[in-house]
Parts: sequence; structure tokens; C-alpha cells
Amino acid sequence: MKTMETRTPERPPPPRRLASGLDPRRRGAGSWAFVLSRITGLGLVVYLYVHLGVLSLLARGPESWDSFIDVVRSKPFLALDVVVIAGWLVHALNGIRVTLANFSFGARVQKAMFSVAMVVAAVLLVIMSVLIFEGS
Amino acid sequence: MSLDVPLQIHRQKEGVAPHRDLFRVSVADSATVLDAIEAAWAWHDGTIQFRHACHHASCGSCAVRVNGIERLPCVTAITDVWDGASDVVVEPLRNFPVAADLVVDVSTLFDRLEASEMSPLRPVEHALPVEIGERPRTDDGTMVAPAGIERFMRFESCIECGICISACPTAALGGKFYGPAGLAAVQRARAEATAATEVDAILGSVDGEHGVWRCHSAWECTERCPQGLDPAGAIMSLRRELTARRLRRLFRR
Amino acid sequence: MIETRERASRHSWTWFVQAFTGVMLLILLSLHMIAQHFIVEGGLREYADIVDYLRNPVILVLEGLFLVTVAIHALLGVRAVIFDFGLSERSERRVSLSLLWLGIATVAYGAWIIWLVAV
Repeated sequence: MKTMETRTPERPPPPRRLASGLDPRRRGAGSWAFVLSRITGLGLVVYLYVHLGVLSLLARGPESWDSFIDVVRSKPFLALDVVVIAGWLVHALNGIRVTLANFSFGARVQKAMFSVAMVVAAVLLVIMSVLIFEGS
Repeated sequence: MSLDVPLQIHRQKEGVAPHRDLFRVSVADSATVLDAIEAAWAWHDGTIQFRHACHHASCGSCAVRVNGIERLPCVTAITDVWDGASDVVVEPLRNFPVAADLVVDVSTLFDRLEASEMSPLRPVEHALPVEIGERPRTDDGTMVAPAGIERFMRFESCIECGICISACPTAALGGKFYGPAGLAAVQRARAEATAATEVDAILGSVDGEHGVWRCHSAWECTERCPQGLDPAGAIMSLRRELTARRLRRLFRR
Repeated sequence: MIETRERASRHSWTWFVQAFTGVMLLILLSLHMIAQHFIVEGGLREYADIVDYLRNPVILVLEGLFLVTVAIHALLGVRAVIFDFGLSERSERRVSLSLLWLGIATVAYGAWIIWLVAV
């Protein structure tokens, strides 16, 4: 295999226009999938640490925890939960597509798989929201 | 019949901030986007810089973005991209440094294609297993192709236009991702390789952090390839092979 | 990469770990969500409910496994996003190490909480 040291001198790095690179508006389903997975992934990481932080209330005993639970059982907080679940569903279902992509069924199937994943995510989200609000 | 097409062309030169210039060009209704760019250059502004050579989609030089989508303008009809009213926007490819206007520096593309050692050309003396004078013929004098000739009749479809790299969202983040063109070339080199050491070296070279594993399966490269190649599939094929080898090594212990 | 032959044999295993932990999370996170949202009266568990819940050994193992798996997947994901932007070799190693420590700290903290409540 050739190495590249003896070839040409320093090259300028490719343009790093973050906005244009991540803007999926005119691009295909694949770019949308990529951006959505990134945004939901990072959002979920933030949620993970918020959640873990909140769990420290457990260390303060039943009174702190139970009064906190009373707050988050309210409808606005349940709505926030639904947002988190939406993020999780989008991330997970697109993640399944990415894993299956290793079997490379072709571009058209990839786009179809992304659409199916998002439809399934929407359906599951509706079901879960109903269950959550019904139980509250 | 001629058309009056409003064409916005990205302009960027040393000392001039990037912007777009609008040209109203008069072209035939059968014109291609490249014809329109050439009309802008010939009749309006001779300082427009753009690449073009074969004008029939086999050199890959002219690749640009038209209305945000990667295309070869030499084979894209203006009527396919113009709705009759809005401006047609022509910009250079993404993910390459802009040299001037629509011309981008594609050295990284060629460096990686060359580094893969995938050979699109075969020396004649190595191509045929028999001497030219000894080629078998049928009774009526037609030459019979020697056995295994298919291996040497595989023509290289990649025209090295860089469109796949422009389309790739991972490449857009400006990192060290090897890119679809390079990885697809490595896959083609692997398909040609026979010696075990050669295969090991080829596969090993893309097994790193920024090789096949950095692809995020957007499949935009395959979607936009003007030659109908499947760089995404090539990347996945390399991944599958690397995975199989790893599993085999795991179970051999 | 191809630039340096000496590292040609370096294998990247993080993609496999991400895929594997992702699949595990499909199960573990679903279980966690069902257990926390849908089984208990009123949806979310009060302190006493949590104590009962975590004192079940099967639950303890599952939640522990969930904690470790989610920490790995989350931090490898963050690492992937950072690595996409292209850093020097040294910075890459630093980022990986920092995230490893963060992961260990996260799991340790979660284990502490579980221990506080269940024991």
C-alpha cells in the first residue's frame, strides 16, 4: 500500500461550515436521519444527566423525593416526558435502521426504512402518550 | 427555441468575499446546465472559473451543486432544474476547499484513490494470459477470448467527480473521515486482491477510527452518484468482511 | 489510516459496542420505562415504592445492567460526535480517556444511589 508522505505538501483543510454541512433541508432522507439521530442522541445524553442529578433527591430521603414526585406527576411535566420519549423513539428506531444498513439493501430501501422507522416512532409515541396521560 | 434563464453562480476569489452573481443567460431549450454556465462566462463575465472537459459525464470534472443538489451539469438539462421562474443556483461541491468560484481543490480525493492502489488500468502484457500471436481462433477466423478474460474487462465506472464526498454529511463535519470515494476504491482493490497479505493490508488500512466505522449510513453518496455506483454498499461490504474476520479470529482462540 | 502503515492494523471496536449496547437498550430501556411509568398506580414511584422495587434481586441486576449499558452507549455516542469533527491523535486520546472517567463516575454515582435506597 502506498503511503502519502512523499506526495504533495500541506493542503488547506476542507471548509468547515457547520450550518451548511448539517442542514438537511434540501438533502435526502439520509441527511435527515443523520441530523435527527445526532440531535436526539445529544438531547438524551443531557436528559440522562438531568435524570441522574434529580435522583440525588433520593439521598435526601422520602420527604424530598415524594414532594418532587408530586411535582412531576403534573401534566406539564408528563408532557416533557413525552418529548423525551419522542426523542428516544426517533433515536432508537433510526439506530435499528443504521444497524440493519450493514446488510446494505440499497439506497431506495434505506430511505424506505427511514420512513418506516419514523412512522413506527410516531405510532408508538401516540400510544405511550395516551397511556401516560391516562394513568396520571 | 431559446430560454432566458436566471442563473446565480457562486463567486469566490482571492480578496473577494464569497457571494453570488446573477446572470440572465439565453440558451437553447435543449441546453444543459453547463451550457448555461458557459453562456454566462462567454457573454457576461469571462472571469467565472469552472471546470469542464468531456461534456458527456465520463471525466467527472464539472461536478457542482445545482439548487443545492450535487449533479454533473454537462448532462443535466436546464429544463430539469428550472421551474421557469426562480433562479437556478449553481454552487461548488461541498467538503472541498474552494479554489475559485465553482472550482474546488480535489487533491484529497485523488490522493485517497491513489492510496487505495485500486488500479483502473491494466498493462496489456499482463492482461492476456496468452501471447497475441497465439490467440485461439474459431474456424471462421474469429478470435476466442482467453479464459478468465472477464477479470480484465471490468471497466472502472467511478469517474472521480467527488460528488459522493460532497453529498456525505459526515464529510461535511470537516473531520478525518476517509470518505465514500476512497473507501469504495479500497473495496474494489480488495475485490482484485488475491494474496492473503495483500488482503490483510488493504482491509487493515480502513479498519481504523476514521475508516469504514465513521460512516453514519446516510446513504447520500449512493443516492447522488451520477454513475449509479454504490459507495455506501462498498463500505458496508468492507464492514461485513472485517466483522467476519474478527469473529473468526475470536473463535479460533 | 492509510497515511501511516504502522497503524494499519489498528482495529476500531467502538462501532460494535455501540450497536450491541443499542440493541441491549431496546430491551433494558423499554423495561425500565414500563416499570417506572406504567405499572405503578399514578405512574411514577414514590420513595417507598422504589425501595420495594430495588430490593427485588432481578430488578437490581436489570437496573444495574441498564445503568452500565446506557452510560457506555451515551458516552460512546458523545465521543463519536466529537471525533466526527476531526481532532489530533493526542486530543482523541484525551477525549476518550476523559469520557471513560466520566463513564466510571456515572456508574459509580448510580450504584451509590441504588445502594442508598435499597440497602
